[in-house]
Amino acid sequence: MNFASLCLNTFRIMVYVFLLAPIAVVVLASLNAGNFLTFPPQGLSLRWFWTFLDNDIFINAILYSALLAASATSVSLVLGTMAALYYVRHAGRDAEWVRIGVLLPLILPEILTAIALLFFFYEIGVGTEHKIALFTGHVLMTLPFIFLNVNTSLQGRDGSVELAARTLGASRYTAFRRITLPLIAPGVSTGAVFAFIISFDTFGISFILKGTGSAPLPIQLFDYLRFNFTPEAAAVSTVSILLTLFLVVVSDLLFGRRI
Amino acid sequence: MTEVSLRALKKYYGKTAALKGISLDVNHGEFISLLGPSGCGKSTTLKCIAGFEEITQGGIFFDNQDISHKLPENRDIGMVFQSYALFPHMTVAQNLAFGLEMRRVSKSEIKERVMRAMDMVQLTPYADRYPKALSGGQQQRVALARALVIEPAILLLDEPLANLDAKLRDEMRGFIRDLQKRVGITTIYVTHDQDEAMTMSDRVVVMFDGEIAQAAAPEDVYNAPASERIARFVGNANILDLAISARPEGGGIETRLPGGTTLHVTASADWAGERLRIMARPEQIMLTAPEHGQLGGRIAKRYFSGGHVEYSIDTDCDEIAVVGPTTQNLKEGDTVGLCFDPARLWPMPDDRDGAAP
Repeated sequence: MNFASLCLNTFRIMVYVFLLAPIAVVVLASLNAGNFLTFPPQGLSLRWFWTFLDNDIFINAILYSALLAASATSVSLVLGTMAALYYVRHAGRDAEWVRIGVLLPLILPEILTAIALLFFFYEIGVGTEHKIALFTGHVLMTLPFIFLNVNTSLQGRDGSVELAARTLGASRYTAFRRITLPLIAPGVSTGAVFAFIISFDTFGISFILKGTGSAPLPIQLFDYLRFNFTPEAAAVSTVSILLTLFLVVVSDLLFGRRI
Repeated sequence: MTEVSLRALKKYYGKTAALKGISLDVNHGEFISLLGPSGCGKSTTLKCIAGFEEITQGGIFFDNQDISHKLPENRDIGMVFQSYALFPHMTVAQNLAFGLEMRRVSKSEIKERVMRAMDMVQLTPYADRYPKALSGGQQQRVALARALVIEPAILLLDEPLANLDAKLRDEMRGFIRDLQKRVGITTIYVTHDQDEAMTMSDRVVVMFDGEIAQAAAPEDVYNAPASERIARFVGNANILDLAISARPEGGGIETRLPGGTTLHVTASADWAGERLRIMARPEQIMLTAPEHGQLGGRIAKRYFSGGHVEYSIDTDCDEIAVVGPTTQNLKEGDTVGLCFDPARLWPMPDDRDGAAP
């Protein structure tokens, strides 16, 4: 093995360590038998997982986050797919503006989007009480991921397949359902997984727009860690990591690029 | 019986005119080619007929019924795209069945008609393959079968051979033409390749700048083009610019070639003006010994191309291209005589920029 490939391999390993080490630490910390969030763990035990399962606050927060992520994802799934179809097939010379518009929440710092929304919802007299502000924020944050993924599966696909379906007697809607949708399914599903995870995970938007009452998981964790420092927080994180992993694997098995 | 009728069809994109008034009648069972350089409006015409583009003015009639504003799915057309546009997530059989499903044909009948269509294009062994597992020519045949299996009133083909290699293209030409004759379907074919248009069509419609320049049988477009531009676009053309020397009683026109020989042009006797622009196709000029020719010249270039030899000959009347048989033993630099066939010479109006009409 020569020097160059040695360097490359070392670099590659370092990248993986850098990316995966925090996850490993969290998972190991959650198995801690001791009373405090420390690393390395003092003995192995599942006791903090049981504590977590008994804790209504965290269970509710996870359910609340999942519900929020699922509903935000379904709304941006429709909007993002429509936006991507418009961008690729119909926008013409306005295409670049459409793209920038949809990607803006990704380009701007999250905190800016959050503050802008906060001002907006108070200005129109709605405030943050009805969760509509929080929901809108999550849709905005997830929209670019649907848009980008559907875009990728549309680009390089020949638009004339839809026209061919039309000449064969399919209406616009039937052509979309029978031809376009199956072709972009991999992009749509990847986008949905991304969107769900982003929504599940996002902090800034949730922190500023959550209002009173139940809060999403990241906020609940943050609140908890301000006063407690037990491995229960690590257990919660481990559960959400597993949930995410599960989603990615299932989606890949169902819709992995076959065509 | 007229199957398709375009009446003063106009199409504007904003202020740009893509079609400036196209009128064309296509007869039942006829094979028509729209031929022209890119941007001439031939594809736009096809898109208007298919219903993909809303027309700005005029009308499109199928069997005397105005379908100008019908949606593509209600027009009863079959179309083959340049990219074939096969559904990549469906097998060959599923691709073929799609149009029949849309027409709510019964399952057993779909099966039978798909089988027949696959047999027609010799693809039966590939029924369960996906398009990406087929060669270009096979994909092309699937696209044809998919368009024909629904038994449409009209078949539209948009440069279907453009993506095939030369040898396959020649094969598919014959295949499409034979199939069209067997099925007897009215066909409109868009191409920028004049050979394709010539060999396949009953009638060639030459289009320039959003207008029809000439619509005629391939022989007529080639031998009697309506303008110099058509003459040059369809095949190679020598244009001789000659002075008219006499208008004899018996008809025709006499002109004098440089060197003194009189050339008698039989066609179009009542030609006004003093000069004449005459088209002579390269293969209609014969090379002889210098003393037998109507015009003398020297071979400047000689290209052997298998079946024939192409010459470029310096004469007092410009450079003239000649295509001759390979049996003639002529070299570059030889002096030769050129012999014109008076019946094949074609006088045309001068349509060069700045020239009087």
